[in-house]
Amino acid sequence: MQGWLSILIMIALGAGFALISVVLSSFLGPRKPTPEKLAPYECGMPPVGDARERQSVKFYLVAMIFLLFDIEIAFLYPWAMALRDLGWNGFAQVLLFIALLLAGYVYVWRKGALDWGGDQATARRRSTIGD
Amino acid sequence: MSYYLSIILFTPLAGAFVLLLVNKENENAIRWIANVVAFLGFVVSVPLWFWFDPRGADFQFVERAAWIPSVGAEYFLGVDGLSTLLILLTTLMGTIAVLSSWTAITERVKEYYIFLLVLQTGMLGAFMSLDFLLFFLFWEVMLVPMYFLIGIWGSANRLYSAIKFFLYTLVGSVVMLLGILALYFAYHVQTGVYTFDVTQYQKAGFDAGLQWWVFLAFFLGFAIKVPMFPFHTWLPDAHTDAPTAGSVILAAVLLKMGTYGFLRFSLPILPDASHRFVPMMVVLSIIGIVYGALVALAQKDWKRLVAYSSVSHMALVMLGMFALNPVGITGSIVQQLNHGISTGALFLLVGIVYERRHTREISEYGGLSKVMPVYAAIFLIMTMSSIGLPTLNGFIGEFLILQGVFVADKRWAAFAASGIVLGAAYMLYLYQRTMFGKVENPKNERLLDLDNREFATFAPLLVLAVWIGIYPAPFLRRLESSVQHIVVRVSPQYAAKYAECNPTPTPDRVAASSNPAAKFLAAIPCDANGNPLPEKR
Amino acid sequence: MPPGISTSDFYYILPELVLTAGALVVLIADVLLPRERRSALSWVTLAAVGATLASLLPFTSTHVEVAHGLLAVDRFALFFKIVFLVAAAITVLMSVRYLAIEGASPGEYYFLILCATLGMMVMAGGIDLITIFIGLETMAVSFYILAGFIKPNQRSNEAAVKYFLLGAFSLGILLYGMSLMYGLSGTTNLRVMATSFGAMAGDSRLALAVILVVAGVGFKIAAVPFHMWAPDVYEGAPTPVTAFLSVGSKAASFAMLIRIFVEGLPSASEDWRLLFWVLSIATMTVGNFAAVTQTNVKRMLAYSSIAHAGYVLIGIVAGTSRGITATLVYLMVYSFMQLGAFAVVVMLRRADVVGDELKDFSGLASRNPFAAFAMLLFMLSLGGIPPTAGFMGKFWLFSAAIDAHYYWLALIGVLNSAVSLYYYIRIVVFMYVKKETLGSEPTTSPTLAVVLAVAVAATLVLGVYPQLLFNVAAASARTLGAAGATAALR
Repeated sequence: MQGWLSILIMIALGAGFALISVVLSSFLGPRKPTPEKLAPYECGMPPVGDARERQSVKFYLVAMIFLLFDIEIAFLYPWAMALRDLGWNGFAQVLLFIALLLAGYVYVWRKGALDWGGDQATARRRSTIGD
Repeated sequence: MSYYLSIILFTPLAGAFVLLLVNKENENAIRWIANVVAFLGFVVSVPLWFWFDPRGADFQFVERAAWIPSVGAEYFLGVDGLSTLLILLTTLMGTIAVLSSWTAITERVKEYYIFLLVLQTGMLGAFMSLDFLLFFLFWEVMLVPMYFLIGIWGSANRLYSAIKFFLYTLVGSVVMLLGILALYFAYHVQTGVYTFDVTQYQKAGFDAGLQWWVFLAFFLGFAIKVPMFPFHTWLPDAHTDAPTAGSVILAAVLLKMGTYGFLRFSLPILPDASHRFVPMMVVLSIIGIVYGALVALAQKDWKRLVAYSSVSHMALVMLGMFALNPVGITGSIVQQLNHGISTGALFLLVGIVYERRHTREISEYGGLSKVMPVYAAIFLIMTMSSIGLPTLNGFIGEFLILQGVFVADKRWAAFAASGIVLGAAYMLYLYQRTMFGKVENPKNERLLDLDNREFATFAPLLVLAVWIGIYPAPFLRRLESSVQHIVVRVSPQYAAKYAECNPTPTPDRVAASSNPAAKFLAAIPCDANGNPLPEKR
Repeated sequence: MPPGISTSDFYYILPELVLTAGALVVLIADVLLPRERRSALSWVTLAAVGATLASLLPFTSTHVEVAHGLLAVDRFALFFKIVFLVAAAITVLMSVRYLAIEGASPGEYYFLILCATLGMMVMAGGIDLITIFIGLETMAVSFYILAGFIKPNQRSNEAAVKYFLLGAFSLGILLYGMSLMYGLSGTTNLRVMATSFGAMAGDSRLALAVILVVAGVGFKIAAVPFHMWAPDVYEGAPTPVTAFLSVGSKAASFAMLIRIFVEGLPSASEDWRLLFWVLSIATMTVGNFAAVTQTNVKRMLAYSSIAHAGYVLIGIVAGTSRGITATLVYLMVYSFMQLGAFAVVVMLRRADVVGDELKDFSGLASRNPFAAFAMLLFMLSLGGIPPTAGFMGKFWLFSAAIDAHYYWLALIGVLNSAVSLYYYIRIVVFMYVKKETLGSEPTTSPTLAVVLAVAVAATLVLGVYPQLLFNVAAASARTLGAAGATAALR
């Protein structure tokens, strides 16, 4: 039962942390409500109107593309640190990795995901690629 | 002649392929080709009758080739007397079934004949296979064409009947497959060899507990096919709704698959279990005999009546078989042939009036002997054959069965005899209602008698009925070694006794005896006077 | 520990590399080619699949672990890779016509098909939980998108969302189980794990891990009670995708299952055998009885595919070398008959008729005899009637069960296959018996004809002369695992 005990402690710790933070903050925190504090998003726009407002899908696209290519750096950095140990073999592997990303980049570019706004160039490309 | 059985086996299938190439609009060409192929199939099988050597090896014309070596399955064909006769019955009835469909089938002619011919190959394969997996393959192959024959060309309730037939048979056969696999692995444990060779299984002598289970599994497969009470309920529906040729094949050949399975597999491979199941088999058979006959007596539908008579007759066949003595088993086999001949003919007869009047209600008919005298005469002969009138085939089978059953247990014989009496009742009652009296229904006044083609379908059956009735010795001679082979396995005491009281059972002497009963009395364990001994238990 | 991956490792993953390159070529070609030339992409995809198949040739008798035990290149993996690639090729051929009717853009579609195939290949080769999981995700994400590929179609969208949500949920469960396995053994390599679990038989934490992994894998193979997503997804997804999903994804999941349980958890085999015994019976029975009431053919095939997962589990329950062989044999023959059946459904798809209702099949025998005959054959094969491949597959499964003394399982299995014929035959009834009043005119195209011809030929040949398949499958099952792990196979 040794192993179970550790799992049990883990569960207790997790649940306890969540519980204690909520309870403690309600005891310790000062309560001086202002209209700003009561707003759902303290730091954002006031939630006026229909919550199901449409947002441009471009925001999501850009966010995702950013994430994908950001990871590239996360992988490249450790490689750069170990460059000498890994040698040419490691270099070849990183080239392969970048080639894969490059293919994705070409795809994203040609699809027009990097174009902002509905300018004529995008419209023209759309009509030739066809989506 | 090493490919002889393959030639018989694949002739119908080759014909089916030829038919595939014919334009479906060209119906007469299709009919001609199908008839020629079916007849050819019969012709190539005829030499089997002459070439089969009753004194020769157990299995003749053996063909063996590797099929799936990794599991030990082979393309292994061979025939003994039992399968020789059933193969000949199959090719003959197949020809007749094809011939009888000439005018009856007017829709989707091409598919119809293709299915009939494929079915033919399936049936022949099942009778020839000595490899259990191969047997099972052919056994299942028969299902689909028969399903279509009933489902597409059948009458009113055809879809229901077809699926009922299909599922009943399928459930039985898949359980049988498990039994086969159990034997397969048990044989491997015994000998270290993976094989589906039936002849090896017959020599193996399996553990009694295993035999018990496997017998049950086989029982389900075969008893549904026979069909034995209480698994018979698909039969009346399937027969009633099948087209004439389908009914003929079903009655004459497909039902024999079940009894053949018992004789070829259950009895010799599982002798201990066969003995242990005798009470159950006998009780079910007796119920089948009496119940089938009583229900037949109450039928208003001509075809359904014949179907129930099948239930009763096949139960008699099973009873004879499970007397487990040489006479009973011989009678059982002979009666299988007889049932094929007479019930096949009875279904043909129903088909002919159905084609003319499109009804099977017995009350719609009456006095047909005046408008269709030839028809009435043939019907009379076949009725008598079915009842078991001496000089016709039915008598020989029933006599041998009764004799075998009597030796086993007199009470069983009493029930069997009552079934025969009831059989006479329902057949004669049917004959009286349809053939005699005045023609009261105006629609029956102008019915045409048989034409030449229709007569041709009956001619061989009439000849056979009389031949077996008067001179059955050639048939019995061919069966002798098969029966001995089974008896040696399942009731060795008879075999020993047989050798004792017939020190030199030369086939010549047996053949010389024109009296089948006398000959088979000799096969019963006997004292010095040749009187049968009561079976020892 | 040598740094990085050596050059020889690249040699052993040549097929995966070829397939990746092919996928990228398709992706780039899609955006570079002008619209009217895009139909050529299907041929590029086929070429990629063909090249991958060809690149498998040097590895027909290889038996190595590459990349420090992340992947195994052995006959077991090879067998599955062949199944996946053949299935992918058939799916591509099926899709040509379907995409044209739906008016969907082919580029990303074929790219995703290739990606899914790549994921499957990694799953089959993976002997490390990480590799297996990456393969699984590659495959699953591709299928989430493919299921919703027909954007204007609501059912397709619904299928994608359902598949995604339930798939993600099941992956969570699977990962939890895997993390327990890792925590208990301190390694993610299945073969190392097997030795360290050797001393832990009967440990209840191991049992918990087994239960969680069984549940996670159960989702992927759509075993009852984890099957709820399957009918909706199968019905809503584009038909060729459904075909690929029900064949490729299922086979890959079984490969993963065998790797995890037979290679990684032989010491807990009592536990997982029992669980799979229950799952197998529940899956066959529920799948078959639910299929009986369906009137939509795609939905019916979905339930039948659930039932087939139950049959295949029989081989896993047996757990013997014979059982694994049976699983391989069955998955191979199942691919052909299932893909063939879906190809006929695709054939019935027209611009204005969906063609997947039972009534769309009525009178098919007179309108297109070859398609009807092919469908008849596939139905009989799925039902296990000889002389079709399906019978040979079932023969192996049931013989494995009998051999391992699972008599009741075998009995329930055969009775189930009898039940299944009831609904398979119903399609046949519609094709052959019903009058031709309602049905849609089947659209024939050369690619579909090729698919049907291949599937029919395979179903018949493997049904009559299965010797080669049996030998190959048996050889593949034997190479499973390192020397130590194979001891689990009796």
